[in-house]
Amino acid sequence: MFGEVSLRDPYEILGVAKTATPDEIRTAYRKLAKKLHPDLNPGDTKAEDKFKDVTGAYDLLSDAEKRRRFDAGEIDASGTERPQQRYYKDYAGSAGAAGPRYQNTSGFADFAQEDDFLAELLRRREQQARRAPGADRLYQLEVDFLDAVNGATRRITLPDGGSLDVTIPPGIQEGQTLRLRGKGAPSRGEGPAGDALVEISIKPHKFFVREGDDILLELPVTVSEAVLGGKVKVPTPSGTVMVTVPKGSTTGSTLRLKGKGVARRDGSRGDELVKLKVMTPAEPDPELEAFLSKWTPNYDPRRDMQS
Amino acid sequence: MIISKSEFLYRAQMDQETLQVWISEEWIAPQGLETEPVFSEADLARAGLIRNLQQDLGVNTEGVGVILNLLDQIHSLRWALSSKLKAAGDDGNS
Repeated sequence: MFGEVSLRDPYEILGVAKTATPDEIRTAYRKLAKKLHPDLNPGDTKAEDKFKDVTGAYDLLSDAEKRRRFDAGEIDASGTERPQQRYYKDYAGSAGAAGPRYQNTSGFADFAQEDDFLAELLRRREQQARRAPGADRLYQLEVDFLDAVNGATRRITLPDGGSLDVTIPPGIQEGQTLRLRGKGAPSRGEGPAGDALVEISIKPHKFFVREGDDILLELPVTVSEAVLGGKVKVPTPSGTVMVTVPKGSTTGSTLRLKGKGVARRDGSRGDELVKLKVMTPAEPDPELEAFLSKWTPNYDPRRDMQS
Repeated sequence: MIISKSEFLYRAQMDQETLQVWISEEWIAPQGLETEPVFSEADLARAGLIRNLQQDLGVNTEGVGVILNLLDQIHSLRWALSSKLKAAGDDGNS
């Protein structure tokens, strides 16, 4: 029917005269669309192309402005395609239905009485419907920072009043989804229950920051601790540890605590990186002021800034 | 691929009330519960088809139901036919 369409003249495609009224154009389009819509011709492999030509022509001629410009030669018929649409038939495909609830064997159930093969297909379909699993259910769970780093078990209270115990694997990332088998909706028939899908979000921590498998911590230290060095208590996700601050440290000095970071699947852990931040006293300290007024620094922190 | 109700409404460009009507007419049959239905890409494509039927092809409400029912029968028939042909082919018969 379509053969070679001459440079896609939309009037020719729709089979209307150049003087056709908008009503005539719509009527012509509908008549063709009814015959050519890909979902109404699931076995026609060329249906999508034919339908594309017709909808393109209709979109052009049904728009008064576009039609005027086309008639005046200002635009041509190219570029009139609609965005790619997935048709229902693409999903119904080889399974004969896009979902268990769209199956309809009424079209051949009678043949199944005379044909063993069809009887078997019919039986399988009916069994499938009975055995279909329940739906999955979606949940969101906000998890504490340390629970995500170390792993934990938490209980979600469900809207219907029940509850769900969720095991949070150590090292879980923001946005990851946990699948809990069989904890979703029950099956309509005799099938298994669906799954519960729990999407994880992680609350930020007051002072720990996660970077991949490592934990970053900014540690305030006193002037003495930095200059003289010494042992300080440092928090880590797995507890507090004593760390030796090297003599002569300053703001920005970084200490690496191996194995004190985020747990990995294989049981190992990343590291904790402790960045020192030297703090002067918040309250006035007369003793310190007295000392400093007499003290001459032997270093110039702004040496490289002379302009 | 699970699509939530809000994503479905957005991508199908329809409102809640219309969706309720389509579901009660059994044109779209989501999985899940009434309170929390879950949709698939196939359900979205089916919604697109219903739109085409109503808007592009001028089919009325009763007609849509009839067409979808027949279409579902056609798809099952195609499946039965292609299964049968495949089985006959494997047997070496023509």
